[in-house]
Amino acid sequence: MNVESRKKALRYQFEKVVDPLGYKFSPDEELVDFLLEQEVFLERKHGIPYCPCQGLPKDREGRMKLVCPCIPFHREQFDYMKCCWCLLYVHKDVTDTSGLRQIPLSEIPAAGLKRG
Amino acid sequence: MFVEVAKMSEIAKGGMKAVEVNGRWIVLCNDNGRIYAIERRCGHMSAPLDMGTLNGYILTCPMHHSQFDITSGEALSEPVPRDFGDEVPPKNMGIYLQNIAMLMSHIKTCDIKTYPVKVEGDSIKVDLELKDCDRLI
Repeated sequence: MNVESRKKALRYQFEKVVDPLGYKFSPDEELVDFLLEQEVFLERKHGIPYCPCQGLPKDREGRMKLVCPCIPFHREQFDYMKCCWCLLYVHKDVTDTSGLRQIPLSEIPAAGLKRG
Repeated sequence: MFVEVAKMSEIAKGGMKAVEVNGRWIVLCNDNGRIYAIERRCGHMSAPLDMGTLNGYILTCPMHHSQFDITSGEALSEPVPRDFGDEVPPKNMGIYLQNIAMLMSHIKTCDIKTYPVKVEGDSIKVDLELKDCDRLI
């Protein structure tokens, strides 16, 4: 399998999923290219393009929540961060990614209140 | 030589249609108005690709979910391994499945053949006589 072709195919398919969720690919093309490549390697190993930035849990339910794009399973957190955990996807209104950072769920006020 | 194999009105956008021409099965794919012709058999285990799903230029096999580029015939991914979740299958079934998985791990997913297509009015014509592409095995 050709890595470049697979990257292009993943990008094509993921775009259709994240667009209705209000996200787009990060404007940082180099990062996007790198992350998609990691997903191609993960797909080769596991058969599924898991998130390349998070450890895979042992239980299937946990793993399924890390299938890229995992936005629906972490909506509250990613909406607050304005990007996904890897920064592969960002909110549609984001043009500059330099201010974005990973924020643990425990530091998100709304999530804390809900858990309250 | 191009021969008529179907009408444009028979294939909706995003749809596929399998046709038999001179004993050879092909699938016509409509990617947003552009027609592509590919061989019907999956490059993995020969499942009928017209029963799969077409997402733009990417066709997913209905059997093990290998994906192919309908514009070039290139295999884009290997089959997706069956995930039975955390449930442990009954012992005999587990042995059988392990055996199947072992055999399947030796099967290479090949590119599929594509054929030149010409659309004239409502008529879709395909040239099936072009070189019988070598299958990469």
